[in-house]
Formats: sequence, structure tokens, C-alpha cells
Amino acid sequence: MTTDAPTRAPLGGPIGWIENRLHLGPFIGALLHVRVPADAKTFYLGGITLFLFGIQVVTGTLLALYYSPTPDAAYESVLSITSDVQFGWLIRSIHHWTANLMILSLILHVIRIFVQGAYKYPREATWLVGGGLLMLTIGFGFTGYLLPWDQRAYWATVVGTEIAGAVPLIGPPLLLLLRGGPDVTDATLARFFGIHVLVLPLLIGALIAIHLLFVHQQGLANPKRPDPRPGRPGPDLSAEKTKPFFPDYILDELIAWYAVLTALVVLATIFPAGLEAKADPLITPEHIKPEWYFLGVYELLKLVPETVGVVAPIALVLVIVILPLLDRNHEVRPRRRPIAIGLATLLLVGLGVLTVLGGRS
Amino acid sequence: MPSEIEQGTSGGGTTIPAAEAGGRESRGFGRRRFIRYLMSFSIVSSLAIVVTPIIGFLIPTKSASGTAGGRVLAGTLETLPVGTGAVIAVGSKPAIVVSTATGVKAYSAICTHLGCIVLWDEAAGAIICPCHDGRFNPATGAVVSGPPPAPLAPLATAVEGNEIYIVTG
Repeated sequence: MTTDAPTRAPLGGPIGWIENRLHLGPFIGALLHVRVPADAKTFYLGGITLFLFGIQVVTGTLLALYYSPTPDAAYESVLSITSDVQFGWLIRSIHHWTANLMILSLILHVIRIFVQGAYKYPREATWLVGGGLLMLTIGFGFTGYLLPWDQRAYWATVVGTEIAGAVPLIGPPLLLLLRGGPDVTDATLARFFGIHVLVLPLLIGALIAIHLLFVHQQGLANPKRPDPRPGRPGPDLSAEKTKPFFPDYILDELIAWYAVLTALVVLATIFPAGLEAKADPLITPEHIKPEWYFLGVYELLKLVPETVGVVAPIALVLVIVILPLLDRNHEVRPRRRPIAIGLATLLLVGLGVLTVLGGRS
Repeated sequence: MPSEIEQGTSGGGTTIPAAEAGGRESRGFGRRRFIRYLMSFSIVSSLAIVVTPIIGFLIPTKSASGTAGGRVLAGTLETLPVGTGAVIAVGSKPAIVVSTATGVKAYSAICTHLGCIVLWDEAAGAIICPCHDGRFNPATGAVVSGPPPAPLAPLATAVEGNEIYIVTG
């Protein structure tokens, strides 16, 4: 292979050994040495979500070493992880809290992208892939919730799959496919376990890679001006202030990760993941509630007919996913997008109110 | 129309003058289209070969549908005096038996709203669902209040001596 680059002194040590054989230097350099707008304010949310996913991979793999996915053994195995296995309570509680924080940081990430108009040209596809990532993450939450096989897990799954079964047209076969039969049984547990530890991780791994590739190709959005479009006069970008992604941005991101890790350990220690009574298909406990991110839909189903309560959230998610196709306004600054920002605020307040009502009832 | 028709597959592929290829051109175009159809068909059928058994595998087996109850002893007139009720298993399905002033009634205990298991609330004198507080009339199974869209499915009961049976299937 020939190159115009000036010849450097050969690297020594293990890094040199690898470099002399694989020539990865230019590839890694191209990944790291990019510049980001100095004005970019990401609040490190995307990176935090990625970090949390990494934690889930590690803690999830550890939990899978002790977990038994059958109704007879699942509950006892989780009990054993929590009380017998060294650091078992910590690993399980961190897995539990990371799941919650991952959903929270994803929601905040979506809000950040929306407010800064970063889903607009040329980043429509990145937003679309991000929508897929959000749904996969919720899928992780939903399937993982059943695995402890306690009352809360069991009945959240009965209600959740029942909601899926109420989707017009595809509902009934979808319910059978999800449950592996008409009821929530050992078949459901086996399916949810398989989906949780094999199907979703493979899918999310692929989508994360695509999402990061897109972000790398397009760079971070500038929250103060839209990206120039081909063939149209754009602003002079030569004077735009930028900063290096590596090490400046990465260092800040790393600090954010440490802060998140600290928060996780504190949460897991003060509020460890609990376990209710073993699942009983004959008794629905009183005041049963799903996880906080499903509370809004759960409360909505109390107030409106079932079909409306099921179709409305699906329609809403679809509208959010195809938002870049609907919103043709080029402007990115929130003050100049009063309708979009107003509608989003209304939606968030509505969801917030439903969630609080669901939490109280 | 190009004067030469590319025939090669590699970058420097052979070219045939148009005059020489004239007769083959229409046949060649048909052949290419045919090959394209063949390729598409191959791709679709290959996908079908892979996807069909996967979907078939995922469809639950008949044995996963649970067992029919037949005839199940729900209790006795002593254990279930008027004004009381209980949830019992009939095969793999839960049922609720209530003893009302108009006789012993039994219904499927699966709430018609979101599938939670209803329970007998003695103080309220009603069958209630703990999920969204749906209430049902114990004498008829009809919805009294709350979001359930339909009454509870009734089950046949038989009282023999002082024993209460639920009869299904």
C-alpha cells in the first residue's frame, strides 16, 4: 500500500505491533479528529444514553449467569441473586436503575434534539434511526420487566400485552405471538427472555452503529443556524467557532459519565430493586401500576375507550417518528418556531399530567 | 442510442460494434430483463424459505391454549354464604363465584378491560377490578361503573346438595 503521508518512525510496543499489521491509525484518526461547533449544546445526553446501554450489557450479562427463565425457577433465582450472590443486589439494582435512567436520558435527548431543530436537514435519517432506538429501549423495559416473575412483573405484562392485543387488526395475532399463547405463561417468559437477551441487543447494536455513523458523517448540529442546503446561498461558515471532538468534547462527556455512574450507585444503594410476592395468575394485586414511562398510557386507558387509548399513543409515536417529513420549516431557533414548540410543550404537559394522575390513582 | 453496446463485466470489457450486435440487441434486452426477473424471484423465494419456518415457529402451539375446566368444585353453601364470593381456577382460567340473594352466580374472573383478575368486594357488594376500579353487578355480571367495555362472561353453575360446581366445556 502506498501513501502520500510523511513516513513516521515505526511505533513500538503492542500498539506498534497492531498498527504495523492492521494500519488502523488513519481510521481511528478519522473517527476521533473531527471538529464540533463551539455553540453546540448537547448536554451529553446521547453519549450518556450510550454509556448507560454499556452498563446494561455488562450487568445484564452478569445477571444472565444466575437467572433461570422458567416460572418455577425465575422468582427464586432472582431472590438468590438479590440475597445470596456476592454483589448480586448491587448488580441487579444497577441494572434496574440504569434501565430507568436510560429511558429518562433518551426522552431528554429527544427533547433536546427537538428544541434545537437538530432533526431537520440533513439529519432526518438520524432522527428516524433514533426513533427506532427509542422503541427498542422501551421494548427492553417491557420484556425485562416480566423476568423477575413477581406479582408486579406478571400483571404489568398481562395488562401490557392486553393493550397490544387491542391494536386494531393486528392486535389478536400480536397478542398470541407476544404471549406464546392466549395467556401469560411459561411460554411468555421464555419469549420475553429470548427477546430481551438476544433479539433486542442484536437489533439495538446494529441501530446504534448506524446512528453513530450518521452523527459522525454529519457532525453536530449548530443550534443557532440551519445547515446550508446544496445549491442555495448559505451563511459564511469560515468564521464559525469550532472545538476538537477529541479530546475536548470527549473529556466533558467522560465527566458526565462519571457523574451518572455516581448517581446510579447512590440510587441502587438507597433504593435497591425490590421483589414482590411470586406471580399468582389468580390474584391481581390492588393498586397495581406499570413502570413510570407507561403510566400515562395506563391512565389514558382509564379515561377513554380502549381503542382510542391504544390508537392515540401509536399515532402519536408515528407522528413523532416522521416529524422531519411533516415539519418543513428550515428555522432551528426555538423562538422562531412558536407553533412547533407550543405543540410539543402542550404534549409534554399532557403526558406529565396523565403520568402524575396515573401515579396517584 | 449508443453506437456500441457494452458487453463486458469488467472495467475494460469487450465491446461489440452496433452493426454486429444489432440482431442480438432486442434479444439481449429481453435476456437481461429475464435475468433480472429471475434474480428478483430468487431473492424473494430465498427470503420466503427463511421467513416461513421462522414465522411458523413463532406461532404458539395448540397445547399452549390452556385446558378446559370441565366440572370444578367451587365450594359449598357453607363456605360461600350469601354475600360472599371467591376466585377459583377452572382449568387454566380463573373464575369468580358469588353467592347472591338470587342464587349462586359464576363468571370468568378476567376483566373485560385489560385482563386483570376481578375480586369480590364484600363491603361494596360488587365485583371489582383492582386495575382501573371497574365494577360489575354480582347478580348479572353487567358493568356498573368504570372503563370495562363489556360484562363479565357468565359461567354455568350447578348446586348439588350443598356443593357448588362450575361447569364449562
